[in-house]
Amino acid sequence: MVEDITSLVTGLGFPSIEAFLAVMLLVIAVFGAIVVISLLRPVLGMFPYTYPNARVRARIGRIFDEKQFQEIIEAGNIEEVKNYLRGFPDYAKYIDQYPLEKALDTQLAENYDLVARITPDNSKDAFRFLLKKWDIRNIKSIIIAKEAGLNSKETLDLVVPYGDLTDKLDALVDADDINEILNTLEGTEYAPILEDAIPLYQETGILLPLEASLDKYLLKNLLRTVSTPEDDNTSYLKTYVGNMVDGANLKIILRAKVDGLKYEDIEPYMISEGYQIREWKLKDLMESEDVAGVISGLEGTEYAPLLAEAMANYNDTGSISAFEIALDNNVVETAKKISLKNQFGIGPMIGFLSRKEKEIKNLKIIVRSKREKGFTPAMIKEMLI
Amino acid sequence: MVEVALGTALAAIGAGLAVGFAGLGSGLGQGIAAAGSVGAVAEDEDMFARGIIFTALPETQAIYGFLIAILLMVFTIMANKALPASLGLVAIGAGAAIGFAGLGSGMGQGITASSSVGAVVENEDMFARGIIFTALPETQAIYGFLIAILLMVFGGILG
Repeated sequence: MVEDITSLVTGLGFPSIEAFLAVMLLVIAVFGAIVVISLLRPVLGMFPYTYPNARVRARIGRIFDEKQFQEIIEAGNIEEVKNYLRGFPDYAKYIDQYPLEKALDTQLAENYDLVARITPDNSKDAFRFLLKKWDIRNIKSIIIAKEAGLNSKETLDLVVPYGDLTDKLDALVDADDINEILNTLEGTEYAPILEDAIPLYQETGILLPLEASLDKYLLKNLLRTVSTPEDDNTSYLKTYVGNMVDGANLKIILRAKVDGLKYEDIEPYMISEGYQIREWKLKDLMESEDVAGVISGLEGTEYAPLLAEAMANYNDTGSISAFEIALDNNVVETAKKISLKNQFGIGPMIGFLSRKEKEIKNLKIIVRSKREKGFTPAMIKEMLI
Repeated sequence: MVEVALGTALAAIGAGLAVGFAGLGSGLGQGIAAAGSVGAVAEDEDMFARGIIFTALPETQAIYGFLIAILLMVFTIMANKALPASLGLVAIGAGAAIGFAGLGSGMGQGITASSSVGAVVENEDMFARGIIFTALPETQAIYGFLIAILLMVFGGILG
């Protein structure tokens, strides 16, 4: 037996059994290294997301389900809604601290802040930039409040204590007029945007250009943070942000067509680096005669079927809210798809933020309905998104 | 310098493969599960015990590898006898069996454990089902462990 093995080994060209074993061990070592490296790569990609995803999934578990929403809808008045929310630690900490709607927005902002803090480095820039939406929301609220003549206390009730401007919020809230707001924002990235947009707002009294300028700044730069995906996770993030950008562009175009605005009126507010709808297509859409022209111009894109469906509603009501809802739902659906496809990466975080946004929007719808008289639970349920 | 027989040296490599690769898989798996559990506990303190259970599950692969390595060492290296090269090769086979099986099983179990922790923190009712899913990748390590034992028994190391 031993002789047989020896002759076999020498027949293969090895001078001795030891040499043969040495080569064999080397082969095993190389094979082992290949196995380990090929296994490690996907696992190391997953590893940074395990901690944030567990935290986020814990919060997904606390998002209100249909039964809980039904209970809130059936609350007799605002105070009962507040009492219900006090039963949930996520909301309880803000309910007695702020007015109800500010408490809801603050809870949402807290979640954005958490995701920006715990997300892995390759997606941190995008989520950190997304936090600026609270700056933009606060600036808009403060400008509107000042124009409406609200005092500091009333203005403070409208701002959310998150974003990059938290240290300037007190000064902004105390500002007497828009010029003082501009002075306070001097040196921030928002000053040049407002310097261009505020004169037009003051001249026309229309808030749309101001809002659109700030939104454009946010989305344009947000898209820039995800423009070169490094891996699947950042690629999914780009898809999500891209859908938000396309949605914002389409909303502006559709609103402009309803108001009969021309290409040159809306062009400054478009995010030309659209995602699926690129610059040339945006130009075509902006040059469309009417809403129907915009919808037919979208033929071949994923937006055509969903907006065509909303078209019937628009024809009945003359309101573009059906389009806006369809586009918002598309972003929610995109987030849902990403969260299912990419469970070990960025998916749960995108899915969570989208679901949390929806929860807060629905809670605000309920709160506003409870403030008004005449809304039955069935009517409120109908209004939820 | 102590003279070590070729077979004994090969058996030492087998023991190293057993505990090394199984430990690598178990460590990575446990790390992934632990990271998920820490996240869950940060949100919900009641998750501590359940997080520990899920994190402990990928430990078994390292235990299998450790056991095989100990058996190989006791019956070959520590037996103070010159082992033939053929038995040394059997030892490498046994070590590789549990080593590689433990590597894959440990990593797979860690990923499932982490995912289960996420599912449980989202919905408490998922605990039992999470444990079942997390236990499934254990089978590959058990196959590796059984084959390693059989190799040692019928290959003459434990005979």
